[in-house]
Amino acid sequence: MNPILVLGGGPAGLSAASELAALGAPTLLVERESYLGGNPVRWHYSLLAPDLRPAEEVIGALLERVEGDARIERRLSTTLTKAELGSHGYRVTLATADASETRDVAAVVLATGFDHFDSRRKFEYGYGRFPDVVDFKELEGMLHDNKLVRPSDGQRPHRIAWVLCVGSRDLQVGNPWCCRLGCVVSIKQAVEVRQKHPEVDAYIYYMDIRTYGLWEDLYWKSMQEYGIKFIRGRIGAVTLAEGGSRLLATGEDTILSRPTEVPFDMIVLASGMEASAGTKQVAELFGVPVGPEGFLTPRLTDLNPVDSGLPGVFLAGAATGPKAIPDAVTEGMGAALRAYQYARD
Amino acid sequence: MPIVEKSLVSVDRVEHLEVEGIDVSGDWNTFLRSRVVTDLDVKIADWVKGQPQGETISRCWQCGTCTAGCCLHTDYGLEEFNPRYFIYLAQIGYEEELRRYASTIWRCVSCNKCVERCPKGVKVEEVIHTIGTYLELSGGAAESPADRFDRAYTENLLGRGILDEAALFRTYERLEGRRTPARELLRLGLTLLKSGRLHTGPFAHRTRGWNRMRKVLEAKLTEDRARRRASVPAPPVPSGRKP
Repeated sequence: MNPILVLGGGPAGLSAASELAALGAPTLLVERESYLGGNPVRWHYSLLAPDLRPAEEVIGALLERVEGDARIERRLSTTLTKAELGSHGYRVTLATADASETRDVAAVVLATGFDHFDSRRKFEYGYGRFPDVVDFKELEGMLHDNKLVRPSDGQRPHRIAWVLCVGSRDLQVGNPWCCRLGCVVSIKQAVEVRQKHPEVDAYIYYMDIRTYGLWEDLYWKSMQEYGIKFIRGRIGAVTLAEGGSRLLATGEDTILSRPTEVPFDMIVLASGMEASAGTKQVAELFGVPVGPEGFLTPRLTDLNPVDSGLPGVFLAGAATGPKAIPDAVTEGMGAALRAYQYARD
Repeated sequence: MPIVEKSLVSVDRVEHLEVEGIDVSGDWNTFLRSRVVTDLDVKIADWVKGQPQGETISRCWQCGTCTAGCCLHTDYGLEEFNPRYFIYLAQIGYEEELRRYASTIWRCVSCNKCVERCPKGVKVEEVIHTIGTYLELSGGAAESPADRFDRAYTENLLGRGILDEAALFRTYERLEGRRTPARELLRLGLTLLKSGRLHTGPFAHRTRGWNRMRKVLEAKLTEDRARRRASVPAPPVPSGRKP
């Protein structure tokens, strides 16, 4: 059997590769970055919601399965530049910085993932201009390194605000969808901050809290046990206050029906998820249908969420829409099974 | 800015203004204080949460189930009695606004429907009474007729250990600075006396051994009040970076 190609070495791709190897299929895992693990490794995610387990532990376990398996051929810093449908499977061209090669593969799993929304596009929040307006992923890095300080002066912030739905549910930036994780990750971050530094006051500005399913538990705990405060209203703009030493969040408290202009030491933007550059690229190479949001569209989102509808092309993880790691891992398993069935027949 | 929406004016938001010796407050050119919320403070919420009766305050997510079923708000129509709102003001530490309701809060009749219905297990009735206690202990609230009645009632009860309605009425009238015509009082009093529902003067009930009991009670009340007052945090500092 020709190997089955898994594109993307994030949680979904790692999960698919390790399941394929477990099924006994030769597997070719291709990753454009020089390391495996995807966004969680790239941005040094700290704890993962809702169990508050270190990301390294979770991703580490996936990496161990893949790296310890001789049936998985790993190609890092490699991209796909061409794909042609053959009589059984695809003939693909893989390129590194200085070389390229052609391979025949029996089936393809696309696990090309997402990119964090570039918060500079919500210019009114001052991200990129004010050092103390930080992004979701940067705060993850700070928490991971146990260095919660204001980038501007290295001081510990006294009061932090989280702004939800940055680059999500927003026609102004062309992203009307929900990122599904902004709520739970912001709450998780606030909990993590309060666990480590109980003296820091944490406020979350929200429109709705979408901690769906069993994640609701973390939301409740964040109020009851960690005293995190929730203010309903979307921040309209961030400016400087007190001679530039603090940030001023201007918004409306929609419970009070009053304007608010509250100073904060640090503001964290819950930036959304967009289809990654790699996802857009493979959509073109394989001709996978793309929805209006830019993510790959499965043929049947209900009955066959991992089938693209094209012969031998299967989908997993955040390439088909915003997704949490457990969902990405599950879809990796599903896509591995479907790809194996296709390659075997 | 002069305003046209008279409904927005509440007494404590009117700026008093005198122009060339003429008092123009509260008239067509009424001025409003800024309605912008400029700070958030965890002080009140932390104090309330620290009290045995107030610890469930932090669970509230402002769904409004309590207010929707509140017999004062909904059935009696006292719109300004809004337990959900009181909790929110305490949570964000908006003391100035909360103080407007310092007296209203005590109109709760403790029917406990809110506690029964709250989806998050907030003991609403206890929490808002704790908020009321905070406001009372931290002081500064103007006394309302209801507050004066409460004061008259407590004094009356402490005096003999049992209520004397006629004395209560007299004390309250004195505190309120008003007087019901003697003829009206006589008519009312005689009717009540005849029907055996008024016990006053020579017919007043007494509680046996009350003087001893009263000393204990008064000592306890004084002690409680001092302890709770001491636990109330200092008045708000102007907004700015905390030390």
